[in-house]
Order: sequence, then structure tokens, then C-alpha cells
Amino acid sequence: MSFVSIEQAGYGVPSGGTILDRIDWTIGEGEFHALVGRSGCGKTTLLKLVAGLLAPSTGTVRIQGQPVRGPGAQVGFVFQAPTLLEWRTVLDNLLLPVSLERRPRPADRRKAEELLDLVGLTGLEERYPSQLSGGQQSRVALARALVTEPPLLLLDEPFAALDAITREELQNDLLKLCARHRTTVLFVTHDIAEAVYLADRVAVMEGGRLRHALPVPLARPRGRDVRYSPRFNALCLELRHAMDGSKSDVALERAS
Amino acid sequence: MVRAASALLLVLLLAGWEVYCRMAGVSALVVPLPSAVLRTLWDGLAGGYLLPHLWVTTAEMAMGLAAGCTVGFLAGVLLAEVPMLRRLFYPYILASQVVPKLALGPLFIVWFGFGMTSTVVITALICFFPLLENTMTGLQQVDPNKRELFRMLRATRLQTLLRLKIPSGLPVILAGLRVAVVLALVGAVVGEFIGGRQGLGASIIAAQGMMDSTMMFALFIVITLLGMIVYQAAAGFERWLLRRPWKG
Ligand SMILES: Nc1ncnc2c1ncn2[C@@H]1O[C@H](COP(=O)(O)OP(=O)(O)OP(=O)(O)O)[C@@H](O)[C@H]1O
Ligand SMILES: [Mg+2]
Repeated sequence: MSFVSIEQAGYGVPSGGTILDRIDWTIGEGEFHALVGRSGCGKTTLLKLVAGLLAPSTGTVRIQGQPVRGPGAQVGFVFQAPTLLEWRTVLDNLLLPVSLERRPRPADRRKAEELLDLVGLTGLEERYPSQLSGGQQSRVALARALVTEPPLLLLDEPFAALDAITREELQNDLLKLCARHRTTVLFVTHDIAEAVYLADRVAVMEGGRLRHALPVPLARPRGRDVRYSPRFNALCLELRHAMDGSKSDVALERAS
Repeated sequence: MVRAASALLLVLLLAGWEVYCRMAGVSALVVPLPSAVLRTLWDGLAGGYLLPHLWVTTAEMAMGLAAGCTVGFLAGVLLAEVPMLRRLFYPYILASQVVPKLALGPLFIVWFGFGMTSTVVITALICFFPLLENTMTGLQQVDPNKRELFRMLRATRLQTLLRLKIPSGLPVILAGLRVAVVLALVGAVVGEFIGGRQGLGASIIAAQGMMDSTMMFALFIVITLLGMIVYQAAAGFERWLLRRPWKG
């Protein structure tokens, strides 16, 4: 059964007209999908529809068969900007999703510290966000979305502010965690190689419509060598053509 | 270095004033000698004449400040949180900005009589507005991304207020407090001009009645020092609160 299904979803604003136009997409449970497209094509808007932060003006979004009516507990969201609370320490920021529900327990603290280790921020738990670099801030934001282990994770260009090496490390950590918890993921990115490396399936968006879908039949777990394989490069090229809007043969297929 | 130069400037100014008044024989009724002012100030403080007045003014100021700021803050929170009330009251709040609140003093004397109560009420009224304004502004200026984060985390309205809006609006709210502290002193002193029996403002009026310019200058110095102390205290409080990790 599909975990997320987007059915004919559209979104318009009174002033700016149509931002999203009849989007159809499904994500199976435990699948990792990437969404690519040029700046301003509507990726963030689509992600917010799935999160329940925006209500579609047409169509519906379903999670586990239920129409989305608002932000739900089963969804973790990593925003495009880190969005940390400057007056709280890194640890408190990490525990925010927990502390809004209940008083954090020692187990939550341990969990948070483990996640900090994972994103390479060991020993920075008492710092304030203003004392972190931009990349460190985005790593805190990523860890914050993971702390409640949501079954569905929505990420909006979470690694855009990172250097290539840290980014590769975090991509691997994200894949590992998602595989461990069988997390369903929708990952927005500008980066073609990132989309191909991470995803089972890549959706290409253009001007508020989904234009193409590209399956990525690379075996998992994917290691560093995959990035330099000819198959990988061929897929990147294919995706690039799809994004350029050249009439390649990759038609929009329905996800299974 | 610059501080030393500032201090030196003051000394030179006072010396010039002293010398000019002595040479030209200016009447002490018009401009008193600095040395006479300092002596009166010292006698007033050491002899205990000024202390009860200082205490009364400080107490009025503190009570007015506490009452005005508390009510202003709570009203600001209420108006920021309930758009309907905000739309209802906003024209009146705008209009009340231009009303010279001190002009209501005589009315308060009719209502509350001469003495501390009417001065405290005037002071509270003056402090109310900067806190109201700044609380409203501060709470509404929250970064939309953070609001969205709290929405995503399904925070309740109260959680959003206490853990997002108030902490992120705190710098603006505290700037309002700093303004209120200065206004509170003006309120207390002018309130005493109108209806005080005791206090530094009332003492100025009494000294005026006796044509005692020297005493008026001495009181002026006391009021200035009091203002500087409370302003520094407010600024220190602000720095302390903003540096602290916010628990909540
Ligand atoms: N509130 C709004 N009112 C009007 N237009 C909006 C609004 N929000 C977004 N838009 C427009 O909708 C389009 C899609 O925005 P969106 O943020 O989804 O783009 P994006 O694909 O995430 O871009 P980027 O890669 O730069 O983040 C943009 O052209 C933007 O100008
Ligand atoms: Mg975006």
C-alpha cells in the first residue's frame, strides 16, 4: 500500500494564480523519493501540502489512506532554513519536538546526544545557534526532525549549506537511519547527483507540474564507489536531460 | 581617556560658572553658585531632609512602574493574541498616544485626592503605553518560519506564546521597559508637582514657594542621579535577561 498519495493536488493563491497544477504522485512505504526542479517551481509548496501546513485548493493528499487535514505527529519536516530558536541551546533545540509533548526523559537526552554524534556535532550541545556555522545549524535542524523517529520524513534542501564531504557523510547517515526505521522520505534538492544517489525514484517538477519520473535502479546499500560508476553517471545525465525539458523518452509514469 | 575628558569638561564648566557668578555678582535667586548647591545637597542628604522625599518618589516610581508595566504587558499579549480585540481597540490606542497623559493629573486628584495614590496612578498610566506598544509589536514580529515550525510540531497556542512569541519578542519588550523607566521618573516628579504632599517633585514646588533656587538645583541633581541609576538598572536587567538561557 502506498504511504503517501497525492491525488490531483493543486495549490493557488488569490494574487499569484496557480503554483501547483494537478500533481499526482505516490510514495510506497519505506521508499525514498527525491523531488528536483528549478528554483521557484513549487517544490517547497508541494512539501508543505504533504506536511499539512498548506491545504490544497484542489485534489487531496493522503497519508496511509487518510486525507491530510493538518500537521500530524507521524511527519518530520526539515525546513529550507535551519529555523532554530536562538535563545535555546543546541540540546534544547534538538529536544523541542519532545518537550512540546512532554517533559524530556533521560532516554530522550541520550537519544539526542546520539543524533548529535551522528551529525558530527559531538560536544556542542550547550552551544547556542549563533555560535554555530551555517552548516552546523542545518545539521541540528536535521537531527531535530529525526529525534521523534517519524515514519514519514519531508526534507527541503537540508544539505544545501554543506561542503561536499560533509554532505556525502550526512547522505550516508540519512540513508542508514531511514533504512533502519523503514522511514518513508520525500527529499527536495537542486542537486542532481544527490537525488540519484539517495532516491529510489526522482520526480522532476517544472512550473508547478510534475514533468517526469525517473526510477533509480541502483542496488542498496549504496557506497562511495557508486558515485563514480558509469550507471550512476548515465542516470545523472538522464535526469539532467529531463530537467532541461528536452523531449527525452522518460515519460511521467505512475509510481507503483 | 574620553571619560576623563568628559569629567574634566564638567569641572571646567562648574568652575567657570562659579567664577562668573562671583565676579558678576549674579543674584543667588536667579542662578545659585555651584558650591552653594553642592553644600545644600550635602546638608540635605547628611542632615536627612532629602531622604524621606527621595524615598517617597522612588516608591511612587516603583509602584507606578510595576503596575503600569504589568498591565501594559498583559494587555499587549491579549491584543497581540486576539485580532478581534486588536481591531476594536487599535484606533483608541493610536488616539491615546497623542493625549498628554500628564494633563490628566488634575482629574486624578479629583478622583484619588492629594498624595501618593494619584501620583502612582499617573506614573502607571505613562508606563502602560510603551509596554503595550512594544509587547504588541514584539509578539507579532515572530519569524514566520518559526511559526511554521511550531505549527508542524503541533504546539498549542499557549506553548507558542510562552515558548516562541514571548522569548523572541523579548528584546523589543525590554526596550519598551527601558523607555517606561525613564517616563516613570517624569511621571512621579510631575505628578508630585500637581498633587504631591511629599517627594522630590513636591519639594521643588515648596522650594519655589520660598524662592530657594539653590534647593531647586540640589533637587534637580538628586532627580538626575535617581534617573541615571534606575536607567542603568533597567539596562543591566535587560542585558542579564537576554544573555540567560531561556528556560520555559
Ligand atoms: N504566499 C505566496 N504568494 C504568492 N506566491 C507565492 C507564495 N509562496 C510562494 N509563491 C510562489 O510560488 C512559487 C513556488 O514557490 P516554492 O517556494 O514552492 O518554490 P521552490 O521550488 O521551493 O523554490 P526554491 O528551490 O527556490 O526553494 C514561486 O514562484 C513563488 O514565487
Ligand atoms: Mg523551496
